[in-house]
Amino acid sequence: MKAMANNKTEPVIVLSDLRKRFGIGDAEHYAIDGIDLTIRKGEFIAIMGPSGCGKTTLLNILGLLDSKIEGEYELETRPVASLSFRRQARIRSQQIGFIFQSFNLVTRLNVIENVALPLVYKGMTRLNREKQASAILHTFHLGEREYYMPYQLSGGQTQRVAIARALVNNPSIILADEPTGNLDSASSHIIMEELSDLHKRGNTIIMVTHNPRLTTYASRVITMLDGKIDTDTGSPKRKNDTTAKKPLGKVSKKRRKTKTKQEVA
Amino acid sequence: MRFLFINHIQNARQSLRSNRMRSNLTMLGVMIGVASITTILSLSGGASKIVSNQVDALGGNIAVVRPGSASDTAFQNLAQLPTPQLFAASTLTIKDVNAIKKVNYVSGVAPMMILSGAVKAETSTSVNTSIIATTPTLADVSGLKIQNGQFLDPDLSPYIAVIGPQLSVNVFGTEESIGKTLTIKGQAFTVIGVLKRQNTPINYNGVDFDESIIINQDAGQALNQGSLQIQQINVKTDSVNNLAGAIVDINKAILKNHLGEADFTILSGEQIAQPTNRLFAAIAGTTTAVAAISLLVGGIGIMNIMLVSVAERTREIGIRKALGASNRDIVAQFLIESVALSIGGGVGGYIIGYLIAFAISSFLPFFPIFTWEIGGIAIGVSLVIGTLFGLYPAIRAARKDPIDALRQYD
Ligand SMILES: Nc1ncnc2c1ncn2[C@@H]1O[C@H](COP(=O)(O)OP(=O)(O)OP(=O)(O)O)[C@@H](O)[C@H]1O
Ligand SMILES: [Mg+2]
Repeated sequence: MKAMANNKTEPVIVLSDLRKRFGIGDAEHYAIDGIDLTIRKGEFIAIMGPSGCGKTTLLNILGLLDSKIEGEYELETRPVASLSFRRQARIRSQQIGFIFQSFNLVTRLNVIENVALPLVYKGMTRLNREKQASAILHTFHLGEREYYMPYQLSGGQTQRVAIARALVNNPSIILADEPTGNLDSASSHIIMEELSDLHKRGNTIIMVTHNPRLTTYASRVITMLDGKIDTDTGSPKRKNDTTAKKPLGKVSKKRRKTKTKQEVA
Repeated sequence: MRFLFINHIQNARQSLRSNRMRSNLTMLGVMIGVASITTILSLSGGASKIVSNQVDALGGNIAVVRPGSASDTAFQNLAQLPTPQLFAASTLTIKDVNAIKKVNYVSGVAPMMILSGAVKAETSTSVNTSIIATTPTLADVSGLKIQNGQFLDPDLSPYIAVIGPQLSVNVFGTEESIGKTLTIKGQAFTVIGVLKRQNTPINYNGVDFDESIIINQDAGQALNQGSLQIQQINVKTDSVNNLAGAIVDINKAILKNHLGEADFTILSGEQIAQPTNRLFAAIAGTTTAVAAISLLVGGIGIMNIMLVSVAERTREIGIRKALGASNRDIVAQFLIESVALSIGGGVGGYIIGYLIAFAISSFLPFFPIFTWEIGGIAIGVSLVIGTLFGLYPAIRAARKDPIDALRQYD
């Protein structure tokens, strides 16, 4: 099944020599340092790697939130650099679902309004928005929390609301930054089943996680290190050359462990 | 996209409600500004209306010639204090009066020289009284009615006077004052008539006839060191239909006299009806200044609050952008909020403005008027203020980088 996804479907995301620089002068630092990556439609990708290796930065770029990049990013064969801001906003509204690492609910809106927010920019009526938002909240067992304000929710509930919001407009590409970070295993399971379901229906999912067990849901596992791809189960050429790094690079020993878990999957 | 707009409105309402106190305080500036505008416009409308009613009551066939070139905008007229007629040399002469008399369809011409001074009786004095030096035709042209005695007559002695009933009461203690003597600048005048009470302190002649004294033109000239200063020439035509044609001819005639210099103004119909009352002009002047200042302050207040609001909601802006809001959506969201603030202030100001106008009108001989234009101006002004001062904060909000915005801790 994984092989099928890799070979038969068209590429959704193509990155070539992608770089993202932060700071200037002495403080200059590449958070993404030359990534070549092709993601095909319908793939479920798990991205792992030590803290600070650039996972969130990469997701932000993939989600068109960050356009100050070097290298090439093609989304469905269109170079992103050539898209107007308005067009990019349209793509975010209609194709991309974002789950942030910190849940980022709008504090002055209640749960259902937060979940319905992406639908606002699709020009839906309030009634339809709330219907659709209510439906998805029920699948996440948050039906009774519709009119709660964000500060009245537990950490796990907040996260489920954020996920419901990312999925409410049926995005074809889902970018999830540690979606189960704050959840117990039962709640994690609900979320992962939902993502898995979306995957089965043909959506593309890119998920950052620190939990090696969750990679079992993924069709492809990528590990990152210092802004580069370290290993990639979907790539024919095995791991990249990791010698001759900049001195700033953080040394990670967890990397080996991750890899073994991944082979189990 | 219509729904998006509705959403922005719902959103603005929600956001303004959640900061009710702050919103209300912010609206205050615009509210005061719009209240001032509403007061001034409704009162000046009321004043104009009674004057134009008077002109209509006289048959509508009246034109007025005044020295000086036309002050063109209505706003100037509103803001202007009464022209210091008494100090400036008039450009109108007796030659002009005679020229007008010769124009076709003109049925009456009355030059008016208006002085101001103390009028003394034996026991009491009326200071700052309007002294009108004119010709007998004024009675017909301006529709003055006599209660006792008679109007000016060239066949009688030159030092005779017709007085208003209120002036009569003020100096003699009675409206029955025929044959009594009044002294102006040492010259004695015999009262030969008392006018019927008019109760029109606001009128196109700029004087309250009830409190004035009317004397012969030659006597007035003598009181003014022998110089004749005509402040106004009232002209009446035989019918309304001939008024426009007559005005053209009058204009030609006076222009010829003045060697082509347009140093006079001919007013008719609505133009005559501009308020000339002193108190009114003072109120109008102050109110205009208050309106301008408070609108500016109100606008700056809105801008300030919107900037605070944008800063507070930086993270929200980041989230909205990530969820698909375009820059335009963000601009619209904040702009609608600032416009809602100023329109709220505008509506409040409109209501308060009328309350004030009615309060003031209890000291004035007329009522404020209601027209859709005043409502339109109130809404229009607030719309402009809200847009003008809301644009910068809204653009600033839209320019925020989504990543930086999301990173911000709140
Ligand atoms: N706005 C910024 N300015 C400067 N440096 C930044 C900025 N954003 C990210 N970085 C740097 O880029 C690197 C990658 O950050 P990123 O948030 O992508 O890490 P991550 O892989 O998501 O880590 P974690 O697993 O802890 O979430 C970090 O070293 C971080 O300090
Ligand atoms: Mg991260």
